[in-house]
Amino acid sequence: MVDVAVLLSVGRHPVSGRARRAPTDARALELALSLPPGRRTALHAGSPDSPALRDYLGMGLAELTVLAMAEGRDPTDALLARLRALSPAPSILLTGNRAEGGEDSGMLPYSLAHALGWAIVPDVVALTLNDDGSAELVQALARGQRRALRVAMPFVVTIHPAAPAPRPSAFGPARRGRITVEAVDAPEDTALAACAVRPWRDRPKRLTVGAPGGGSGGALDRLRAATEAKAGQGRLLVGPTPDEAARAIYDCLQEQGMLPR
Amino acid sequence: MIAAALSTVTLTVLLVGLGLALVQARRWRAGRSAKVGVWAGLAALPARYLVDVHEVVGRTPFNARFHALTAGGFLASLALSVALALPPLRHPLLWGLLALTLAVMLAGGMMVGYRRRVLRPAELSGGRFSRLPLALTGFSAAFLLVALDQSAGGILPVWLVLTLVAVGGWGLAELVFGVWNGPLKHAVHGALHLAFHPRPARFHDGAGRDTGLRPLDLAQADAPLGAGQAVDFAWNRLLGFDACVQCGRCESACPAYAAGLPLNPKKLVQDLVLSLDDGSDDRAYAGHGHPGRPVGAAVTGPTRPLVGADALIHPDTLWACTTCRACVQECPMMIEHVDAVVDLRRFQTLERGATPVKAAGVLEELRATDTPSGRALDRRLDWAVDLRLPVLAAGETCDTLLWLGDGAFDLRNQRSLRALVLLLRRAGVEFAVLGAAELDCGDVARRLGDEATFQDLARRNIQTLEARRFRRIVTADPHAFHCLRNEYPALGGRWTVQHHSAVLLELLTSGALTVTRPLDGPVAYHDPCYLGRYNGEIDAPRAVLDAIGAQRREMERSGLRSRCCGGGGGAPLTDVVGERRIPDMRMDDARATGAPTLAVGCPTCTLMLEGVVEPRPQVAELAELVLTATEPTP
Amino acid sequence: MTARRRDPRAERAARVVPTGGPRLRLALTASDSAAPASGRPRRDPRARRADATVQTAPRLRLDWSGKALAAPATTSAAAVSPAVAGRGVRAVAEPVLRVIDAPACLVFAVLDRADGALSALDRQVMAAARLLADALDGAVVALAPDGPEDWGPEDWGALGADRVLPMPAAWAQEHAPEARAAAVGAAMARWSPVHVVFPESQDGGDVARRVAAVVGERLFAGVESLSAQCVARRAGGGSRELSCAPPRLLSIAADAVAPLGPLRHEARPLDPVAVACAPRLGAARRLPVDPDGVGLGEADFILSAGNGVTDWAAFADLGRALGATRAGSRVVCDAGHLPRDRQVGASGMVVSARSYLAFGIAGAPQHLQGIGGVGHVIAINTDLHAAMIKRADLAIIADAQAVMPALIRLMRERTHG
Repeated sequence: MVDVAVLLSVGRHPVSGRARRAPTDARALELALSLPPGRRTALHAGSPDSPALRDYLGMGLAELTVLAMAEGRDPTDALLARLRALSPAPSILLTGNRAEGGEDSGMLPYSLAHALGWAIVPDVVALTLNDDGSAELVQALARGQRRALRVAMPFVVTIHPAAPAPRPSAFGPARRGRITVEAVDAPEDTALAACAVRPWRDRPKRLTVGAPGGGSGGALDRLRAATEAKAGQGRLLVGPTPDEAARAIYDCLQEQGMLPR
Repeated sequence: MIAAALSTVTLTVLLVGLGLALVQARRWRAGRSAKVGVWAGLAALPARYLVDVHEVVGRTPFNARFHALTAGGFLASLALSVALALPPLRHPLLWGLLALTLAVMLAGGMMVGYRRRVLRPAELSGGRFSRLPLALTGFSAAFLLVALDQSAGGILPVWLVLTLVAVGGWGLAELVFGVWNGPLKHAVHGALHLAFHPRPARFHDGAGRDTGLRPLDLAQADAPLGAGQAVDFAWNRLLGFDACVQCGRCESACPAYAAGLPLNPKKLVQDLVLSLDDGSDDRAYAGHGHPGRPVGAAVTGPTRPLVGADALIHPDTLWACTTCRACVQECPMMIEHVDAVVDLRRFQTLERGATPVKAAGVLEELRATDTPSGRALDRRLDWAVDLRLPVLAAGETCDTLLWLGDGAFDLRNQRSLRALVLLLRRAGVEFAVLGAAELDCGDVARRLGDEATFQDLARRNIQTLEARRFRRIVTADPHAFHCLRNEYPALGGRWTVQHHSAVLLELLTSGALTVTRPLDGPVAYHDPCYLGRYNGEIDAPRAVLDAIGAQRREMERSGLRSRCCGGGGGAPLTDVVGERRIPDMRMDDARATGAPTLAVGCPTCTLMLEGVVEPRPQVAELAELVLTATEPTP
Repeated sequence: MTARRRDPRAERAARVVPTGGPRLRLALTASDSAAPASGRPRRDPRARRADATVQTAPRLRLDWSGKALAAPATTSAAAVSPAVAGRGVRAVAEPVLRVIDAPACLVFAVLDRADGALSALDRQVMAAARLLADALDGAVVALAPDGPEDWGPEDWGALGADRVLPMPAAWAQEHAPEARAAAVGAAMARWSPVHVVFPESQDGGDVARRVAAVVGERLFAGVESLSAQCVARRAGGGSRELSCAPPRLLSIAADAVAPLGPLRHEARPLDPVAVACAPRLGAARRLPVDPDGVGLGEADFILSAGNGVTDWAAFADLGRALGATRAGSRVVCDAGHLPRDRQVGASGMVVSARSYLAFGIAGAPQHLQGIGGVGHVIAINTDLHAAMIKRADLAIIADAQAVMPALIRLMRERTHG
């Protein structure tokens, strides 16, 4: 039995740009739903009209509280006030490690944790509760590595994309779920407003040619670096003995740094 | 006295049987209400029996014959036995007639015995069914002796005749009580099912074919979303399940069962029948089960969940179905298996969110991008930049609207679409495409039970199409063809929709395309389920192949009885594991013809069959073959 | 070397006569020598060209990549340049030592130095800090954990650090984001840097956000493009670009800034700052990872099998020997040799491993779609004309069944011998 709060944001599909449940927030909700039953509070700060909110309800969430505010507002204070008003106070605050569709800086959970005076652990993929009011967390690191750590409640965790996939959202529960709207006063996010905004366009890949220890940085190196990403560099061994082949593979892998030294 | 005894026994058994039938009827009447034309249905019943049911049963002439003999003899003998209750009718002539009918029935009963004891088809169920020949022959033989004796004026001692009446009475009781819960259940329930069938249009007195799924009412918040428990089915569909005689024709036709996937359509229907009993299990079922699934593990009940890891129907069973309709095509009781599967899936997807992982991902992409693969709509024409396809904008007019479908995003199918476009150009057909305005037709979503996404896509597609003028829609995708032609009308979209095979045939016969290089080689043709069984179109593709000079070879299981490629109903997404792969089995059928080329007319079939490991016949789309055969000579 | 340069903007500003009216009035007679510096760094094309000159005879050769640049020409610092005197040959010898004695400001570069090694991203963070510092005549302070002896010394001067602030030993621990954040916070309080540059790595980004929360300032996270005037990052689910003048706290995404060429700075050590921190996260430890338990999307090194593999025991052994995540083509997964979640391709998983070792895979288009994001492909196949062979960086025409045991043998020799 543990009381948890989940912060859910509205995501944005990378291809269509349509609103959807944010992938890591959905995983946070999945984790919350899989914890032993306690009180679950789901909060969203933003527009209560987004169709993506129903996607969260479709996962089996009975109620979602929306702190209604216009776009470009700073939700930190409003969320903080709402979390502080929860009684009993939740022991765990779960959310995705990065929103998609807003500033996407991943700062909000840190600001909340600092203001609440709670510990924060980012990029979590698994959570087990201990009897003594602490929890064992597993953090996802690069290249499939995992790190375990322990933290005492209350704490904030942000969920990594490698966490278990969220259950599908079902139409029936999504239709039946309740959205409670609370109008809040949120200040304008001045730092965000000061930024220039324009559509993103991909930049050409930065070529790290001639980096320390690398090639000479000449034209040939640049050409190679620009083209080798697409087609193979095309070393070909035809009909070597198995041992020759093995050695070639071994050397190649070692060059790539894939083998344990 | 003998006559009185005989008619009393008959009447008593019939009355008890009627009582039991009413008890049985209470089970299926627990289902949801349904709009049924009772009198029209009853009026159409005899013709449906003689035309539609006979067409199915008659595919095995022996079975048709013993049915005619047994059922005809039985019904006539019952009528005559009851008539004997009236003293004035107790005439030797009547006894003679009775003897005749009973002899007919005896012949039929012996044929049943021959089939069950000697031929023993593996798909038949055992259990109570094993006693059927004994009951049939026992009843008819005993009463036949009585009737012969009476028509001859009563030679045998009375005690012997009465004993014979008793033996016949046992046989009759076995048969009539079997109407309640035994082999002859199909006689009464089958008849009622024919009368109150949920798809009356499928019979010869209707359109002759009715394959489009029925839309769910999503506007009403408390309307049911599919079937989660037995009583969620409409009463006439529960009645339909009860009509199952466990003949196993569906089992023999089912591609999933043949591949060892955990689905046997016969057991699935029996699961639905058994689920109406409270607190029982499926141990009494005496046929083949779902491959690899145990029997007797789950408790039945009309309000228990039907699908679940420990419920009567395992999720793998439900998601193994390719919705190919081979079972429906073969069912002599006209049971609609696919409707049941889709209703069960609807509940799993819409209420439980229990769609298998990969399929759920596809549904999510569909909702977010309107394409199952999560591609951008404005990239649907990327493969055809050099073809400069005319895009039909809102308010514009064209003759033929080419529906590209999801194949436009797939490297392989872009090749066949290109061939089709070149052919239309070559033949001078004025056509256009929708471009980025074309959304997925919703076929996969609907078969996976996601009615909400299907209706959303369909509504928006209909809106797009209604804003444009055209004479007909042409598509190379039978799934889109079926959706647009048979399922959009229920949501308000009605147009002339053609599969490209019909259009190619039209162009070849009208001379718009001339064959310059006849194919001149053996070609096997695989019928796509959604073109053949769903739409009855099995002739046009064959005529096209004939027109381009192919030496057409028929595979085992072709035409309306074709075997699925394994790609329908979202089966590649739900990916239930069996002993074999369905496309591998289908490719074996193609190999057996010895033809080096396998012609297909469906993007899904192309992908599934081309995914079979080589060596195998080359897979070629109809349009590709026609394109090569009509290459203009310099 | 260069002519005296005029700054037209500054000159014009100096001529403005304050009238208070709506019209702008300029005094034409004002002396241009009165023009103050506008504060915006200006590029001097002549100087840049001179710096880019690699050789003048027999033909003029220019290298704009910045490698030939010993030091930015606009620096105000005292430069001792023995090598720049004669530009006839390319300056490949010892780079010029730059000493910044009285910096106008400080720029912090907070480095991960995970497991004792500086990552490519750490170097990029140094480059970013250098760029920001040079624009402000400031000095770069490298904040890096000073680990145990076996980490080895780091040549901070060659990385472009003017100052080095040794960080508490707590930084060397496997996972101590709280201690790191506290130390950075204390250093910021002591030295008031104008910019603090973090790496947007997993742990570096964590520290950056903790610092931002503690000091109550905005973090400009994951900078994708950086100049002295403007930083830009991706937002809105990847659809928008946010840009602004470089803020105080920023973290640098991987491969967004070019690393520096050869240079030498002073790397003068600063006095350590006292830090107090009571960490709440504890018992951090790496978990042993089963390569086959790693999701294909996450895997870094994939050993993949296709229809050409028949010896599945050897394939499994090879996976263990290499420590690689096993995967397969659709056919292999269909046949049940590998579970379905191990399928690579358009209908399976799209992978982005750094290295992909493929045995007996012909390379169906669907499979090649699945390895679009792979860095390095090694393919072993019997068919010279297979599509996979064309895609591979190293292609070997041989039978998988023969090569797999040989490679296992070689792995065992090298690891035990």
